Amino acid sequence: MCSGNMAAGVLSGVRQVLRGPRLLSAVFSCHGQTFSSAAAAVKSAPDTAVTEKILNFPLTQPDYFHLSELFTMKDLFEARVHLGHKKGCRHRLMEPYLFGSRLDTDIIDLEQTAELLQQALNFTAHVAYRGGIILFVSRRRQFGHLIETTARECGEYAHTRYWKGGLLTNAPIQYSPGVRLPDLIIFFSTLNNVFQQHVGIRDAAKMNIPTVGIVDSNCNPSLIAYPVPGNDDTPVAMEMYCRLFKMTINRAKDKRRQMELLKGISASV
Amino acid sequence: MASLCKVMRNVSSRSSLLQKHCVCITHRSLYSSDASGGDDKSPERAKGGFAAAYELHSDLQQRGDQSAARRMSSRDETSFASLLRHSALMQMGPAKEKVVIGKIFHIVNDDLYIDFGGKFHCVCKRPPTDGQKYQRGSRVRLRLEDMELTSRFLGATIDTTLLEADATLMGLIESKDTKTKE
Repeated sequence: MCSGNMAAGVLSGVRQVLRGPRLLSAVFSCHGQTFSSAAAAVKSAPDTAVTEKILNFPLTQPDYFHLSELFTMKDLFEARVHLGHKKGCRHRLMEPYLFGSRLDTDIIDLEQTAELLQQALNFTAHVAYRGGIILFVSRRRQFGHLIETTARECGEYAHTRYWKGGLLTNAPIQYSPGVRLPDLIIFFSTLNNVFQQHVGIRDAAKMNIPTVGIVDSNCNPSLIAYPVPGNDDTPVAMEMYCRLFKMTINRAKDKRRQMELLKGISASV
Repeated sequence: MASLCKVMRNVSSRSSLLQKHCVCITHRSLYSSDASGGDDKSPERAKGGFAAAYELHSDLQQRGDQSAARRMSSRDETSFASLLRHSALMQMGPAKEKVVIGKIFHIVNDDLYIDFGGKFHCVCKRPPTDGQKYQRGSRVRLRLEDMELTSRFLGATIDTTLLEADATLMGLIESKDTKTKE
């Protein structure tokens, strides 16, 4: 079973979304084309049905993990998420997300941010529920330690240092042939230290890895799958994002463990 | 009703920024809140600025004068537009020459990194008088110049930003003697 999973990882060069979940029995529902057919005959039918139900049922609910109770508009406001850069720093593609500009300072529309943040958190929760690998990325040195501790506390990964060229695109050579790439990359700041777009955004798009990104008023939101317009410069705001993502991921993983336990209980009965 | 009623700050000089009608009940409560916040400034104009600066700092929201603002915002059902309109940043107006209270959150030798409630912090040199009293967590008074230091250089398409605000350090807040902590 183990080797079957690994082989599947090497074969498909183009990654699908939510592929290769950590639970081996879930290989069947995710991989359309590669059936570890030798093991397929061994698995009993009702077990597969229950596993499929565990995986598919959350996708039918709009807010399965009740993430809307994690934050309110007032929390976002008090964390200064609505503050953008000056008008001269504005990126043209951020204009739909701006509420307006006050004395040359751009104000981000929190109504849109709340919606988009809800969607981003929901997606993160579903990825974590299905056992996906999540990578936190940011090049802001001020928040590097915070992001690394957040990643450690929710059992995921972080990359807050210099991004080498072929990290995602040349991974089989730079690491080892069977390496597994992240299933979701969360950018806490989409710019690098010279105010250019982070290389990881383009590379993740090339490797078909979905991205969630906090985009400030000077960032380019185009290549990001789930942009969340918001302030990425203030420590209060960053702490709030870290806390929200950590709570989401932990909640999703706990839910998965709970469902597995229930499945184990119902199978033994 | 909440969407129709608008609140006017007691400072007439700032009425050009917000031309609104006043609501009697909230106006009275705001009057009392501003009066309690601005004890040591005699002119009414400076009291408005000082009270606005008080609200800028999140620590000071424990005080009673903020309960009036909270009552007000809960009536407005916390939509973003109403939260923004009643926020201290809007009430303050242009940042030039405004006095605010900040808190030191980081120190590197003689550089004090001070957060005053805006998007960015400001960095000030430790003053020669009372130098050792400026430690992490001390509250200081600042005169703001700019909320974000940006400038467009020749040949550039967008502004270059320093990711910092600009303010002059005026002095420490003598918090232990004159004001009681909550």
